[in-house]
Amino acid sequence: MLALAIQLFIAAFSSFLVVGLVSLYDPGSVDGYQTDVAVTGDDTLLSVANQRDGVSAQRYDDRAAAYEAFETGAVSAVLDANRNDDGRLSVRVTAPEEGLQTTLLVVQLRDTLEHVERVERQQNAASGRLEQSPVPVPSEVQASPYAGFTYTILLPLLCFLPVFISGSIVVDSLIEERQRGTLELLRVAPLSLADVIDAKLLAIAALAPLQAIAWLFLLTANGTSIAGPAALVVLVAALSLLVVSVGVAIALWAPDRRQSQLLYSVATVGALVVATILPEHPANTVAKFAIGNPTGTTWALLAGYCLLAIGAFVALRRWLGRLEPDSL
Amino acid sequence: MSDGRLRGIVARLRLFGRHLRGVATRTARIARWEVSRSVGTVDRKTALVLVVMALAISTTGFTAAGDGLGLEREIYVVGVDEDSRYHDVAVDSEQFRPVSLSEIEAESGGDANADSVTIRGDASVDVVVTRDGRIGHTGDNGEAAYDTFRGAVEEYNAKLMDAEDDQSAAYPVLVSLEYQQRDLAGSSESGANDGGETDGSETGTEDGTGGGGDGAGGGADRSGGDEPATGGGTDGTGGGDGPLQVPNVGDGSTASTAPGTPGSIAPPFPFQSLVLAFLFVVPMNFVIQAYGSTIMDERVKRRGELLLVSPVSRYEIVAGKTLPYLLGLIGIVVAITIAIRGGPIAVAAALPIALLFLAATFAGAMLARSFKELTFVTVTISVVLTTYTFIPAIFTDVHSIALISPLTLVVTDLQDGSIRLGEYLFSTGPFYLCAAVLFLLGIGVYREEDMFAQKPIPTKVVDAIASRIRGRRSVFVLSILFIPFVFAGQLLAVALLFALPESFAVPVIIVVAAALEEVAKSVHVYAGFARSRFDATLRTAAVLGALSGTGFFVGEKVTHVVQFVGLPDLSVGAAAFGPAVSSDPLILVAVFLAPLALHVATAVCSAVGASRGRTGYAAGFLAATLVHAAYNLGVILLVA
Repeated sequence: MLALAIQLFIAAFSSFLVVGLVSLYDPGSVDGYQTDVAVTGDDTLLSVANQRDGVSAQRYDDRAAAYEAFETGAVSAVLDANRNDDGRLSVRVTAPEEGLQTTLLVVQLRDTLEHVERVERQQNAASGRLEQSPVPVPSEVQASPYAGFTYTILLPLLCFLPVFISGSIVVDSLIEERQRGTLELLRVAPLSLADVIDAKLLAIAALAPLQAIAWLFLLTANGTSIAGPAALVVLVAALSLLVVSVGVAIALWAPDRRQSQLLYSVATVGALVVATILPEHPANTVAKFAIGNPTGTTWALLAGYCLLAIGAFVALRRWLGRLEPDSL
Repeated sequence: MSDGRLRGIVARLRLFGRHLRGVATRTARIARWEVSRSVGTVDRKTALVLVVMALAISTTGFTAAGDGLGLEREIYVVGVDEDSRYHDVAVDSEQFRPVSLSEIEAESGGDANADSVTIRGDASVDVVVTRDGRIGHTGDNGEAAYDTFRGAVEEYNAKLMDAEDDQSAAYPVLVSLEYQQRDLAGSSESGANDGGETDGSETGTEDGTGGGGDGAGGGADRSGGDEPATGGGTDGTGGGDGPLQVPNVGDGSTASTAPGTPGSIAPPFPFQSLVLAFLFVVPMNFVIQAYGSTIMDERVKRRGELLLVSPVSRYEIVAGKTLPYLLGLIGIVVAITIAIRGGPIAVAAALPIALLFLAATFAGAMLARSFKELTFVTVTISVVLTTYTFIPAIFTDVHSIALISPLTLVVTDLQDGSIRLGEYLFSTGPFYLCAAVLFLLGIGVYREEDMFAQKPIPTKVVDAIASRIRGRRSVFVLSILFIPFVFAGQLLAVALLFALPESFAVPVIIVVAAALEEVAKSVHVYAGFARSRFDATLRTAAVLGALSGTGFFVGEKVTHVVQFVGLPDLSVGAAAFGPAVSSDPLILVAVFLAPLALHVATAVCSAVGASRGRTGYAAGFLAATLVHAAYNLGVILLVA
């Protein structure tokens, strides 16, 4: 229960962080924000800017009047546009220094100016000054800026976190039994050492896919569609079995808790880094299954993880069979 | 003064000096043991494996660093024919995998139209480019994919343009951005009137520094635009003339950027500094793992008993065991500061964070029953403290609320901003105090009967608090001691909720703040009753409640420091800390005494409940919280 609560908190934390970051990074996503700007100098800017939502440009013939309006707060920014000798449009933007408002304003102005740039570029291409004409940019659409993040960061995090926590639990639990000497007591029972450890391993390894299922349900209820839930659960189960097997091996091999936890965390973090040399990072695999665009490689990797997990489990069992219980 | 007396004082001083020296040597010896033992436990086998792993990680890390993690590689599918220009875009971009139209088209129509594509039922595709170059999207993630594709096209264009010879034709617009301060109404009495807010009752907040970095956004408001949800309303309450100091972070001279393309202008956002500041918190999470382990080790198999029976006080033991980790953390912090070119302020701001990390881990390790529980405790500490320090720091330069986190000071320092002493105390004070109280509570249970007992965590918490109760006076003192936690908790709640819509945030804050204060006022009273420090009579309960309430009231006056930093400007801040004090003397007296009455009444309420056992305590606590929340709501409605 506590594990779930902590993970819920971590997820809430990270999603909050992201909403905050993204809305600052892309403040255009805050709707209903209208800006008045003053435009002086060249006229090209005016016509283009007024085609855009959110910005209404006003023409000021007199530059001083424009700055006057800025000082009194009648306009939020002044755009002073002039044409260079080589046909470039040079724009001087004066924006107020006012915290978040400015952030929003600057992002809107950037979009507007990029649009101006595209229009100008198209004209240059038409008049033959460019060798290759730019590819027309599709029109804008209202899309959630969080979608990419949800699939590529949040969902992999939610899938891998239970796996890591399961591994950590198994390391702690075995080390504790060894240090407190309770493993001796268990061995008095008519069970072999391998049986005891197997039971622990499987019970803890099963936790991760269960948590993953819960997360997938929550995400679906939240409006994020998961295309391949079955494949994801299988993936999490395979990784969980693999990581927990490694955790058991570390816990039985290392001399005490600090070293085993150190080895375990270095090994898992290391595995994530080393995984970048795979054709697909595991996080990328999760994203592809969730979005619903798995390739042949994705499926092959899933099969590979399953085989690896089963292999690790079998190897661990063999090692346990040969291990002298008294050496622990 | 007689000669004998003077000699007596000198002798006592010398004795005291010898005592201090003794404490220092004993602490240092324990610290030395701690270091030598920790280093000794990593045996050759483990070290070898670690080195091998580190080598493997760094080699692959370096090879992979070139082309990124590839988290987004080919997550979307775009249907496009090979001869289309968009095919090159798709091949060039990381997120897209192109498939040809014939693969996804339905078989039915033999003659394919130029402007429409019928997609097969089982084909998975997000974005489709028709044969005449029109772009559409399909499926659940189609919009997001389309938006990403738009970005990919822009990137591709930028690449094409970079290859052009005539750069002035390729980049026909040059932009230079200039930030200029403007003083809208021209006087320091200008109200930061916030149009378009939920209520129209703004009365104009005092803005002492005259247009600081804190959203005094007049321009957009006058033109009818409303404050975005993330802004947080500056909803002025009371027309008093308190010297509210709005810290003007990000208030510099007029800055401007060099001319560049429109894509190159970036909004003012301290992203890089923020990431750098995060570097300070990361190593702390690892160090507390080791620290928690060593404290826990003492408690497994009664190993700590040997030290406990030696002629060393438990304060010295704890100090000795903590010292190496604290010094290690300070070393890391200094190293990071030098690496990222921060100043001494950054170290001074990171120190309280390190202390609180250690203190919380110490208390957690004293309470946990097993390594498993310890893992959960340390994870919780990591997450909570990281949240507390990191989230507010995002709003550096945006809002004064950011100051509740010491990381904000680091960010400001990295941006070469200046920090006043008041700001330093405001953001680090709760950290120092919380760390001190946590160490005290932990040391309270650093004794034989608690260290080696297998009791559930809540019981141990009650034990730890009860160990600090000596007579009725300590109820008063403990109420004051808990205030840093209440303060930190309320600040965290404000930080988490101030971005949400006010209609939701304010009620939640009111209830959370009330509940936190009630816990602080009643938990030690409950501990006292539960451990039979007091007789469970109605009279005792009433007296204890009154004492606890008064103590809290006295301590709470300290939190009025907040008002000097301008937090009550936020309406959520007002909900948590009460509105700004008015200048009318009659109201002032009422404002002064009403909270006292409230605190005493609610504390008595929960104390009476606490004297009746656990269920009684729950009921009393609930009632007290409701009364408190109702009072806060009433005050806010009255003043607003």
